[in-house]
Amino acid sequence: MPAFWYYVFTLIFFLFDYFILAMGLNIQYGETGILNFAYIGFVAIGSYVTGAVSLPSSAGTGQQYILGLSLPFPINLIIGGLAASALALFVALITLRRLRTDYLAMVLISLSLVLWDLINNYVRLFNGADGLYNVPEPMASVFKLTTNSFVPFFAGVTAAVALILWFLMSRITRSPLGRTFRAIRDDADVAAALGKGVFRYQLTSMLIGAFYAGIGGGLIIQFGGSFNTSAWLPGETFVIFAVIIVGGVGNNLGLLVGALLVETLLIHLPAFLPDIPGHPELIQYIDAMLIGILLMVMLWFRPQGMIPERVRRSPLLSTFSKSDGQQVVVPTSPSSVMTATDSAALRNVDEKDES
Amino acid sequence: MPALITENITAGYGRTPIINDISLSADVGTITAIIGPNGAGKSTYAKTLVGVLRAVTGRIVVNDLDITKMPGHLIPRNGLVYVPQNENVFTNLTVRENLEVGGFAVRGNTDARLEEILDIFTDLKKAQGKKAGYLSGGQQNLLAIARSLMVEPTVIVLDEPTAGLSPAYTDVVWNQIDLIAKSGTAVLVVEQNVERALAHADFVHIFVAGSNHMHGPTSEIAKHDLAAIFLGRAEATSS
Repeated sequence: MPAFWYYVFTLIFFLFDYFILAMGLNIQYGETGILNFAYIGFVAIGSYVTGAVSLPSSAGTGQQYILGLSLPFPINLIIGGLAASALALFVALITLRRLRTDYLAMVLISLSLVLWDLINNYVRLFNGADGLYNVPEPMASVFKLTTNSFVPFFAGVTAAVALILWFLMSRITRSPLGRTFRAIRDDADVAAALGKGVFRYQLTSMLIGAFYAGIGGGLIIQFGGSFNTSAWLPGETFVIFAVIIVGGVGNNLGLLVGALLVETLLIHLPAFLPDIPGHPELIQYIDAMLIGILLMVMLWFRPQGMIPERVRRSPLLSTFSKSDGQQVVVPTSPSSVMTATDSAALRNVDEKDES
Repeated sequence: MPALITENITAGYGRTPIINDISLSADVGTITAIIGPNGAGKSTYAKTLVGVLRAVTGRIVVNDLDITKMPGHLIPRNGLVYVPQNENVFTNLTVRENLEVGGFAVRGNTDARLEEILDIFTDLKKAQGKKAGYLSGGQQNLLAIARSLMVEPTVIVLDEPTAGLSPAYTDVVWNQIDLIAKSGTAVLVVEQNVERALAHADFVHIFVAGSNHMHGPTSEIAKHDLAAIFLGRAEATSS
């Protein structure tokens, strides 16, 4: 396969993988309002656990890691997702009950640093700073894939996984559960006053988002065959935040656009460009600057993102609209308790407000 | 018949009590107003009822069920619902979604209840596809009240529902409150506007410095020099 197409399929892989990661963070931050600055930690756990259950027993491999179960795809991937959710359960139980907004964000970023230090220094867990490597390419033996043919194959698998997860996420966000998430994002106290168990819903959101993070992380280690602590420095969380801020908070399609602009075009595409002579790392720095500038421009001029969150129309509401788009005025029930005088008063108030 | 009974409630923030030994009841089908000067503890009392703050002493009973130690999110399911003073709607949800969020707190035919509510609040019906954040302040308050009715409460606690509204809208909101009470709900209103409270409420409690200083039927309370009480020249307690 020509190098050009190898690059293209690699970019396609990252596009869909970051789409998955962005959906996970979006349900936590965009839908529920949880400022999860530890998100990259859940990605990492998903990645490590997927790798560790895919690898054979560590004896004789030259690596140190737990598990080593030689599990096939997609069982290994699902276990990676569940492991990230298990971490989210632990984190949520110790943080969500007592902390809100910026305080929660500070604790979460601290937890992310602790997790990074733990995995970096406790070598027996996931091989320390060297991380896991030689992770088997999923289904390569079944389909007799070479190293080159594996890349487009797995990019396609990742796209398929992303579409399945997008479908599931759309179902969640359009359901009463999604509506309650958004209500909590808008005002947790008012939601609680209406009988919503805020903690329970936030916990659910954390678990779903972490599962997506785990799946995204699991796909990364299976695509590249390795994963170590240099791949998930806590600052990586902000790249995923940039994806959803640029794409559009609360809009799944916007996330795909954000993943294309930020992750694919700004981060991974320049990685394939030839180095500038005498300045081997200059492109990376220009990358970081461009992302920062893009974030500032978006927050200043278009804070709703490229594709803003849609106003969700209820299925029942559509029955009140004619096919030509004209609104049908539904007759007021005789039981109406708002009198004509009241309505007139309201109209007067509105007219004054508008004038 | 009282739908809400509170006995000897003391509560506050941390170790500092704001309200002391408050006893109060709200009857089915009536409006009970709590008035008083700023800092008297009216909103603190309302927040204690719904579990936002915890009573240090005393008992809160709704429909013969003791809810004093009940987790806040379970209280609406047992018939008591609270409408906060400010920022009381989900601004990024549509009017209809706001109502649906209220409806899913209880089981039953939510759609039928929603249509019933929209028939009552006709202006909300016209705006049901709009984001709640685009409504005027008065419409937002009406939406918050309408949403609380989705839970089919027996007691509704309104924290200054007309704060910041024009006189025209204040009338609209109070007319709705009257009709909610007539439908058989016990309405407890925390209100700064004494004149409106006296015009619409059946019973009035006057809070002063965290205590239930005076209470009784509106006709009796209206005979007192309320200005003197509000200005700190308190009369003797009556009931």
